Amino acid sequence: MEFFTSSDSKRPIRLSAKIRRWAYESMHGKYGDEAMKTPYIEIEEENFNKLDDLDKYDIMITEIAKKAPIRVCEEELISGSATLGAAISHVIPAYHKGEKIFSSVSHLTIDYETALRFGMNFYEQKVADRLEDKGLSKRQIRFLKSLSNVISAMRIYHRRYLEKVKNIKPDIYRNLQQVPFQPARNFYEAVQCVWFIFSFVRLCGNWPGIGRLDVMLGDYLKRDLENGTLTIDRAREILASFFIKGTEWILKDTPPSSGDAQHYQNIVLAGTDKQGKEVANEVTYLVLDIVEELGISDFPITVRLHENTPERLLRKISKVMRHGGGVVAVYNETLILKALTAYGYPAEDAQNFANDGCWEVQVPGKTFFIYVPFDSLALLQKKTLDGYRKNDFSSFESLYGAYVSDLEDQVKEIYASVSQSFGGPQIDAPCSEWKTATPCSVVSLFERGCIEKARSYYEGGPEYNVFSPHIGGVADTVNSLYAIKKLVFDEKKITFAEFMDVLRENWQDNDILRSYANSLHYYGTDNEEVDKIYVSLLHDFFLACRKWDKRGNCFFPAGVSTFGREIAWAQNRLAAAEGTLGGEVLASNTSPSPGTDTEGVTAIIKSYCKADLSEMVTGAALDLKISPQALSGEGGITALKALLRGFVKLGGYFLQIDTVSAQTLRNAQQNPKQYKTLSVRVSGWNARFITLTREWQDMIIGRTEQNV
Amino acid sequence: MFNQSEGLSVLKIQRFCTHDGPGLRTTVFLKGCPLRCKWCHNPESQSLRSEFFYTPSLCIDCRICEKVCPNEAHEFKAKHEIKRDLCSGCMQCAKSCPAGALEMQGVRMSIPKILEEVEKDRAFYGKTGGLTLSGGEPTFQGENTILLLKSAKEHGLHTAMETCGYFDEKFILSLVKYTDLFLWDIKDTDKQRHRKYTGVSNRKIIENLFAVDRFGGKTLIRCIFLNGLNTDEKHIQKIAEIYHTLKNCRGVEIFSYRQYGESKYAALGVPYSGNKNWSVTLDHLKDIRKRFLALDVQCSINR
Repeated sequence: MEFFTSSDSKRPIRLSAKIRRWAYESMHGKYGDEAMKTPYIEIEEENFNKLDDLDKYDIMITEIAKKAPIRVCEEELISGSATLGAAISHVIPAYHKGEKIFSSVSHLTIDYETALRFGMNFYEQKVADRLEDKGLSKRQIRFLKSLSNVISAMRIYHRRYLEKVKNIKPDIYRNLQQVPFQPARNFYEAVQCVWFIFSFVRLCGNWPGIGRLDVMLGDYLKRDLENGTLTIDRAREILASFFIKGTEWILKDTPPSSGDAQHYQNIVLAGTDKQGKEVANEVTYLVLDIVEELGISDFPITVRLHENTPERLLRKISKVMRHGGGVVAVYNETLILKALTAYGYPAEDAQNFANDGCWEVQVPGKTFFIYVPFDSLALLQKKTLDGYRKNDFSSFESLYGAYVSDLEDQVKEIYASVSQSFGGPQIDAPCSEWKTATPCSVVSLFERGCIEKARSYYEGGPEYNVFSPHIGGVADTVNSLYAIKKLVFDEKKITFAEFMDVLRENWQDNDILRSYANSLHYYGTDNEEVDKIYVSLLHDFFLACRKWDKRGNCFFPAGVSTFGREIAWAQNRLAAAEGTLGGEVLASNTSPSPGTDTEGVTAIIKSYCKADLSEMVTGAALDLKISPQALSGEGGITALKALLRGFVKLGGYFLQIDTVSAQTLRNAQQNPKQYKTLSVRVSGWNARFITLTREWQDMIIGRTEQNV
Repeated sequence: MFNQSEGLSVLKIQRFCTHDGPGLRTTVFLKGCPLRCKWCHNPESQSLRSEFFYTPSLCIDCRICEKVCPNEAHEFKAKHEIKRDLCSGCMQCAKSCPAGALEMQGVRMSIPKILEEVEKDRAFYGKTGGLTLSGGEPTFQGENTILLLKSAKEHGLHTAMETCGYFDEKFILSLVKYTDLFLWDIKDTDKQRHRKYTGVSNRKIIENLFAVDRFGGKTLIRCIFLNGLNTDEKHIQKIAEIYHTLKNCRGVEIFSYRQYGESKYAALGVPYSGNKNWSVTLDHLKDIRKRFLALDVQCSINR
């Protein structure tokens, strides 16, 4: 019963053999195949097609609650399960005549805190109270009734669990009699409460993040430990159930994709509270204990770091990171708090930031979020340089100026499109004029603002409505601009017009020039000259977004991402001036382009941190792969800690480090069966390596592995 | 011998080193070494002169090297041939090679320039990390090496030095003054073998080590193990003796001979003198560590 590790240090054993076996079996597909046997509930309602959307939706949610299979694993200490396989496909798993009806919601973290402290009954009362308002429109009343229906459906589902566990699981039965409808009174109930809500929302097809689990649960555990009603070992087993249940979608044989069927949902740990005090508590360390032991990557964990992060925590993170799997990533909380408050979030909400289920930062339980990605490299190649038919730039400044102007147009286009999708025809205020959107009452219930405004998540209900343009291809755009600057304008190795010809011809018969272009020191090598272009590019992108910001209560903050789109984008890309051929898979997120990061990880972090990343409000991720050998022994721990401290000090935003050797990944490609539990960080999510398609696997292998 | 204005002969500067002293470090590899160890995996570090690597698979037959070489050391017949004996070390060829087939090994750098590189990673050093000098043999560049260490201390950097210990005793006092930790190689305690396999006697190395220790220099002994050559009990006991005699030695770090220098010998155009049978398995290293522990020696394995 081995859980994969990249490290030469063994994974510790703290959990009972029974729990470990359960984890092992879950991670090897024991329950995933079962979920696929019942992918969805069939709606048998006659005249279903004649109903309006919310009526359909309410029926679907009720039917799921009534009919979804109930699963209670023999070993589990908490109950609730997302047992319908179609939920993996981003749809509500209730179909009519075999056809899907509505898609579901992702990229948000819902509010668990209210249910924990006050119970679901509180929501029921709140909706009822809101319905008293005589000024509500018909549409608002209908929406609020749909929220009531969600609570009723959850009650049906909850009763089914109570019946199921009554005679077989007395502890769970006792807890479920209390939560989630009434407030949680202790740690065990609190874990059950969060899990029950999560699994119900997930069962209905949505992808809610978890948020700051240690902040939510820390006080409960502290009290129980002080009272002597719970031991730390028992608490670890309870919490482990939470994580193991998150692997219940792993199949025995997963068809290759961008990652297998996981719950995927992010957990945020540590960081400071309003008083600036570190919040890391025993729950923080228990979570890290569990993933250190089992290597479960299904709930990607991000730890909030700052300059005063305790040594104990930093050491623990480093130890977990060394095992690989991309289980733990880090935020630089100092920078993010600055970014959020400067952007205009009230300090209290900013302080509580988590993410959307990937790594884009948001205020949990209060935020509608979408991001709109675009490829800045294709923009340069196809628009500014007109497919390399342009030949009239006489200086680098004129080229860069033209590019920024195209960038501004691109951002404006994004604004116009989201404005039209979500709002009215007027470009100014998508969230003041709201269109009727796909029903989404389940998540709306848990987003603050929706009940108050009597508007759904998709209809401007949440307190914050965020549409974030995300720039992708940053490293390669910067490198291309730099290569043109060097080769054409500085060193005059070739004229602008000739260079365009070379690139249009995909470098054909120009090996020498191409080798020279390849040999320059690009983004990620701590080269001031190229990093200056990077700094300008991100700042100009920020300015372009700011023009459209906060119109009609809509946030339009900048961010950087590719989320694996570098694969899809490859075919749309021409040869690049940095020496790549058309169609190559290039840089991810804010990371350097593959093969250009010749100066080591510290140089990469230095380059990355030179931009004012606080202007990238929703995030700018850096992905690194470090060879396990570089991190072996005590020296490895010290080095990793130093890397993390430096990352914070220099002003990074988000860092994910994968500790795995390219050789191991190649072995896994050859012998997938032996590497069932080997996970890797893809982007904002983790995936079991063997469940990725060949293209995605090759992309991961291609990310330069930093050795010593 | 050296003029400071010419700076130091630097092979390379490597950032993010995790096993060359405490914390995260930048390692400056200086050229020149008084030893010629048969197992050396940095043969390009032995000579003080700049040299170049040649990797045939990268050569694109552009013949630029042939044009720029003042000494006709590059010839293109059936293939690219290099006459190293004609090379004056001007490095014009490597500087002009567009394909990276010719790669310059060694540049002269001034002390401020070296420290500028080292300063780049200051944010990562924290309280423990810093600069490590390696080589070659760092002391081979004598006064200039000491000036470099002195400047590094003035910059507030932690300084470590990997040394073979073979240097003029007149440097001892200043080395101790400016070096926070010596990573001190003891390649063999057997005199004959040492001379046979490294080209020099080990007497000076051991004497210098004791002298450095007397003046308060902190050391970590590093021992390469070569299977069948120095894996005998006597050698281990000798090291333990030395360790116990030292007052400021924090331990013994052991590692196996590694074969991976072989391609560099080819790229330099010199025959490889290592032997793959010298590799020591991890299990064997663990045994050796146990023997050290039994002799009350603080011992760790560096992989």
